[in-house]
Amino acid sequence: MPARILIAEDHPPSLELMRYLLGAHGYATRSATNGREAIDLARQERPDLVICDLQMPDVDGFAVVRELKQDRDLRSVPLLAVTAFSMLGDREDVLRAGFDGYFSKPIEPENFVAAIEQFLPAELLSRPNRGG
Amino acid sequence: MPDEVDYRWIADAPDAIAMVDEAGIVHGWNAGAVEMFGYADDEAIGAELGQLIAVDEGADEQRRFIAETLAERHATFEALRRRKDGTLIYVTISGKLASGTPADGVRVLFSEKDVTELKVRRDSKLLEARFGELLDSMPDGIVFVNPTGHIVVANTQAEQLFGYRPGELRARPVDDLLPERFRRAHKGHRGHYFSAPRARAMGAGLELFGLRKDGTEFPVEISLSPLKTEETPIVMSAIRDVSERKRFEKALQEKNLELELASRAKDRFLASMSHELRTPLNAVIGFTGTLLMKLPGELNDDQVHQLEIVRNNARHLLALINDLLNLAKIEAGKIDLNPERFDCRGVVSEIAASLRPQAVAKGLEFGLSLPDQPVPFETDRRALSQIIINLAGNAIKFTQTGGVRLTLNVDESTQPKRLVFAVRDSGPGIPEEELATLFEPFVQGQAARTSAAEGTGLGLHLSRKLAGLLGGELACQSTFGAGATFTVVLPEMN
Repeated sequence: MPARILIAEDHPPSLELMRYLLGAHGYATRSATNGREAIDLARQERPDLVICDLQMPDVDGFAVVRELKQDRDLRSVPLLAVTAFSMLGDREDVLRAGFDGYFSKPIEPENFVAAIEQFLPAELLSRPNRGG
Repeated sequence: MPDEVDYRWIADAPDAIAMVDEAGIVHGWNAGAVEMFGYADDEAIGAELGQLIAVDEGADEQRRFIAETLAERHATFEALRRRKDGTLIYVTISGKLASGTPADGVRVLFSEKDVTELKVRRDSKLLEARFGELLDSMPDGIVFVNPTGHIVVANTQAEQLFGYRPGELRARPVDDLLPERFRRAHKGHRGHYFSAPRARAMGAGLELFGLRKDGTEFPVEISLSPLKTEETPIVMSAIRDVSERKRFEKALQEKNLELELASRAKDRFLASMSHELRTPLNAVIGFTGTLLMKLPGELNDDQVHQLEIVRNNARHLLALINDLLNLAKIEAGKIDLNPERFDCRGVVSEIAASLRPQAVAKGLEFGLSLPDQPVPFETDRRALSQIIINLAGNAIKFTQTGGVRLTLNVDESTQPKRLVFAVRDSGPGIPEEELATLFEPFVQGQAARTSAAEGTGLGLHLSRKLAGLLGGELACQSTFGAGATFTVVLPEMN
């Protein structure tokens, strides 16, 4: 079964873009527009992968990574940062904070889904044989 | 225990009178002694006189006084004494063998007179005659201080500095020149200083303040040097008013703090600007991409063409944002270099591999001249890569026919050795008049202006800045119509 992916993003066009891309590739997505929602949804739904913006109102992406990576049931779920913070050193800060991956905005729509799929086990890919 | 002999009359004597036995143990201590030295009867009696008031630690001097008095029956001395509160005074001493020897041995009477003031005035006269003129020619305020803490000589500059009339400082306690709160500590320091005098340079030690006669304070710097005179050990103290400098330092500190805050605000601004500009571009580039990927549905040729224009321009805008922000970071000195040793040949071939398809797509020859062996070299990998990508990318962009060749060499003849990377193209070349301004921001050569390919106008400027950060140089040689060679030369960092 294709992976269920949770997307936390407060910029509606960016959220729509990622939902559209992942949906078009056969993945089921759930959305949250701030960190609090993302944490609650993650605990409720146990997604297979979480994509998380960093700058969000109230509870930001760094708080999300702190909570989810301390959660026994969720710490093994891949947690990827997708952020418009792409100044020098941002990638290092993000990975040090505990995220499993870092993608800078603007994303490359042609490669985005394939890059996300690197973090999924074969049985959760929408087309398990894609890319050999 | 006081002796039973009646010495009551001694109490009324004007001087300090102590009666000691052969070992220096005090048996009698009059009111004058209490007043002069600060020790009460019961503190003094039974103590050894030398331990009580002699300045030298072993009290050898006091033993000598006793021995001489015993031998001569009557002797006079001059000495420095320490009072209970630590201050020193000069005394003249008359020693006399007492009559009426008690059963347990002889007694010696010492009558001591405080001559501190007299001595200060005497020394002052001698030293002023000897040094006065010299001292007045010195730029700093100078005072000579004796072990009792009295000013023996002060030059005119010192008098003016502290607001005293000529001669008014002579024989004053030097503590008058210090704010109250420093006096007690100063007394202790002075005692130590005279027991181990050494030169102390201006500005060494604590923040010090001077006290003017009118009660106002000012920051000072002081240097101390011991001066051995025949009469008295003296410490020469040079005093400099540093109000002006302190004000300047404070202003500078405040300015620095301001700059620091401004710099942090600028950092935050750059980070936010980067974030805010990229966020909408994410939607533009992203949805252009989904359309061109035909995810929502098929497109006709015009739609594809027009969407590609949107995408290319959006990418151009992104490149501009990146270059501008990088430039702003360089200008703000915010680029952290991480010098590391790595194989530069590997870096060049990786970049060449990633650019080769663009060159091939334009029908250009794409050549590489690399050393046979790996080139371990210490510099910042990111900055070097950026320069190579910019230069090689430009060459491919602006060359329509012929080819582009990347060359890497190491020049071992210099110390440190230098990395030489060159990009040679067979493009249109650069007219001489454009070479001078080629590296200015937003100045593009004719080729860039007329070519279909678009640059940001910042690539060369940025590359030269980066080369400069790495301690190297970027230069261009070109003959108009006959291609161009861009060469970057970097000394190894460490």
